[in-house]
Amino acid sequence: MNVPPVEEQFRRIIEDCFRREAGTSGRLPEDAADLLECGALDSMGWVSFIRGIESASGAPDLGARLAERTPSFMNILEVLRDDLPATDLERPGHSGEAGNQGILSALCAGSAAALGSRRVPSEEVDRAFGMPEGKLRGRAGIESLAYASDGESELTLGADAMQAALQAAGCGAQELDWIVATSETHHNYPSLAAQLHSRLLVRENCGALDVGGACLGLFNAMQVAQALIGSGQAKAVAVVSADVHSRTLTPDRVPGEFGGLFGDGASAFLLRAADRETVGYRLRSFLFGCAGQYASAIRVSDAKDGGLALQFDGEALSRAAITRMEKVISAVELRSGISRRDVGGFATHQPNPRLVALLAKQCGVSPAVFPAVARTAGNLGPSTCGVALHKALEGSKETNHKPIFLASLGPGLVFGGGWLDFGKA
Amino acid sequence: MTKLLITEITRMGPAFCVIGLQREKEKIQSIRPVPATANGWMHFPYRRGDVVECALATSPGAKPHVEDRLSTRGFAKSAAVDEPETVKFLRKAEEARSMPELFGCKICENKKGSGLFAQPQEAKRSICGCGTQNLRLEFCGNELRTTAVLSSGEVLRDLPVVDRDWRDFIDAALSPARGANRLQRLERFLNSQLHLKLLSCSHHYVRLGLTRPYHEVCWLMLDTLFPLPKADWLEEF
Repeated sequence: MNVPPVEEQFRRIIEDCFRREAGTSGRLPEDAADLLECGALDSMGWVSFIRGIESASGAPDLGARLAERTPSFMNILEVLRDDLPATDLERPGHSGEAGNQGILSALCAGSAAALGSRRVPSEEVDRAFGMPEGKLRGRAGIESLAYASDGESELTLGADAMQAALQAAGCGAQELDWIVATSETHHNYPSLAAQLHSRLLVRENCGALDVGGACLGLFNAMQVAQALIGSGQAKAVAVVSADVHSRTLTPDRVPGEFGGLFGDGASAFLLRAADRETVGYRLRSFLFGCAGQYASAIRVSDAKDGGLALQFDGEALSRAAITRMEKVISAVELRSGISRRDVGGFATHQPNPRLVALLAKQCGVSPAVFPAVARTAGNLGPSTCGVALHKALEGSKETNHKPIFLASLGPGLVFGGGWLDFGKA
Repeated sequence: MTKLLITEITRMGPAFCVIGLQREKEKIQSIRPVPATANGWMHFPYRRGDVVECALATSPGAKPHVEDRLSTRGFAKSAAVDEPETVKFLRKAEEARSMPELFGCKICENKKGSGLFAQPQEAKRSICGCGTQNLRLEFCGNELRTTAVLSSGEVLRDLPVVDRDWRDFIDAALSPARGANRLQRLERFLNSQLHLKLLSCSHHYVRLGLTRPYHEVCWLMLDTLFPLPKADWLEEF
């Protein structure tokens, strides 16, 4: 992929953010024009415009640095130029690129998924949770759920996925420098990463690290892996997610409207350090944040009696999920310069199939570009994005290796996104 | 005649918007006196804590600005109370612990940018007080914004600060007469000393308001932040 000069990327981001704020019609203001004075934006729009640029460029304190300056394109460009080291934009020779300074990018060399082997019709789950039969299918669009069998666990599912990803990448377990694991249901010690380390007989000096974030956990793990590779500390990192909800979110602990949505599964990715010439799907920039205004929509904590204390406002959470994931997709679109219409697959969180359809509608893209996971397996927590990403990578030949967008969120409301594209650095 | 304890004076462009508390038996409610020809006052020579007498029409304003009352005569100051006392009265008026309680409706996130808004037809009022667990003031492109954590733990991000006294304080802090690096000094003050002052103040309290419908929605803003800024704080940075 040819990376345009940084100046052009800044200008594109500024113009795109401006059009989003002020509307698409009409001419863009002159570079030196005072955007408030000339009436192009009001004060609310001006702040909103700046926040959009901050998110798209990764320049975190653009607003503060614009204080006491005329609100104009020219001044924004100047601050962004001065701010180069702080931004996340990809540029030759800078972070995220296989550049002249020897910083490596992370190539997705192999991927795999493993689902709980027991396929349970959603009507059976309705009954188990004491809900009217057909509720999960009718309200959430879930046809069946993948549940772990007796012998399956986060460890076995994660190990199966990891083994398959290593095989797909032609990578021996001994080559791994790190295992980065995430799970929202595995709370035991040794940790999941440590157990995977032992199960796959990885060499002793390969690190084993667990990261949290619930449904956002996979992207958190990928960001860590990317940083390890980018900094030259690792050449091969396995990123693994594994979740078995069917043993935690049981009818005696949570209501069916919540617990009935979840299934069991795992995903794994082998990320390798790659130079400029290696061809494949590369992890590009990630963006992350936390929208605390939605914190009360979902809270899960341990209760004194050993049960789960759950606060779940399904309607508020659905609204927040759609709004926030669309915002993440918009920010990824701005940052990457890739139109959502040119994307081959959206590996997003799938709280339930109905919300995926709504998100596709909100984004103005076909639901077919969201690999179906929740419809037949249920919400797999962080593994939902993993299984969706694996499916998108698997199907990438049919889409002519188009870019893949990532977007997810978790309680907090933590959110994040990024993208992969195919080719050389 | 109506007695009002002035609790809000906000800057809206060149005009001021004013809200006061009215006591009716045991009930204390917010009232927004408005002139006949506009929503704000071009001149308002009173301060928070002043008790003023005024003549107001009885019919309430349109939703969500149900606190609006047409002012038919001028104001006359009859007494004054201090800040802690003013906050005591505010705590007895409209108060919320969570986002939906603020204006009796759901609060929406601006889908394309920053800020929060309510639908005018859903909001049941346009002013409400609340305690905060934490609050931060920041500059974003010359605009003063606040981010606050409610008692419920919910975060209100990027709300415009329209409190007249706070805006005047910021203007004074950035006056060229204050020498070099004014902005950096102010930012350091906002992030450190002020943060401590706010959170350690026993009468720390905020009131949030809704704008008039603008592009069909009412935006949330910080109308009042107690404690009010003190002139001698300018000597600290």
